[in-house]
Amino acid sequence: MSGSPKLVPTKYDALVVLIVLALAVALGARYWFAPAREAAEIIVSIGGVEAERLTFDDSEYDYTNNGYTVHVTVRAGSVRVDHADCPTQDCVRTGAISRPGQSIVCLPARIILTIEGAAAPDYDAIAG
Amino acid sequence: MKTKQLTTCAILAALALALSYVEGMFPLPVPLPGFKLGLANIVTLFALYTLGAPPALAILLVRVLLGAMFAGNASALIYSLLGGFCAMLVMIGLSRIHKLSVYGVSVGGAAAHNAGQVAAAMLTLGSATPAVYLPVLLIVAVFSGALTGFVCSLLLGRRLFRLWAK
Repeated sequence: MSGSPKLVPTKYDALVVLIVLALAVALGARYWFAPAREAAEIIVSIGGVEAERLTFDDSEYDYTNNGYTVHVTVRAGSVRVDHADCPTQDCVRTGAISRPGQSIVCLPARIILTIEGAAAPDYDAIAG
Repeated sequence: MKTKQLTTCAILAALALALSYVEGMFPLPVPLPGFKLGLANIVTLFALYTLGAPPALAILLVRVLLGAMFAGNASALIYSLLGGFCAMLVMIGLSRIHKLSVYGVSVGGAAAHNAGQVAAAMLTLGSATPAVYLPVLLIVAVFSGALTGFVCSLLLGRRLFRLWAK
């Protein structure tokens, strides 16, 4: 259809790779190079709405939304989803998070756990 | 549309469906939501080069719709639809640039696919949080795109058949 396609990488392919990588760095810079801050709170967002704010004390919670339940365990300085009955299990595989800006997303249940730092309003505005 | 072209489309759609189905059965042990190798993209790319844009788009649509039905998960439809269409548009555009090889087109398509899926996640969650995953997903797309580009170059160059003939 479009003639004979080139089958061996050209230097223009490298340009595509560079553009993709540059985009990644440009988008990631604000997350990766954000100043280190102390983790203050865990924001639980359910269905796009902030539902609860948790502090870092030893406790466990169950959140149910969209027909799925995620079990959240909070320890001093870290939070993780222990188990969930969703088909994808991405939230469980994310493991424990501890730094501000990090988040655990459960797409089927539409639940997001985000760690918020002590201060830096502009960054939190971006991370949602 | 000739019968041969119709049959080729049907076979490729079935192949794409099988690839995405098998891929879904073995989730990669990576804590990245929505991360896949995008094996079905091999078929999309192959169809784009051999049959042209309209049949490739039709194959994509059939694969995505049937894939959602097979998975019994209609909510996943928006992810594959948005991801698939973004990838398709970028690959159609890039394939017109004749200085690019299948590798460049494939990497661009993989990056667009991941960007589309992140956009879908942002839409369904009503939150900007999934954007955090985009930088890593873009870097990963370079590798998965190169892999699908490699497989596609084998298919298009018929080197695979020569390997079998030995």
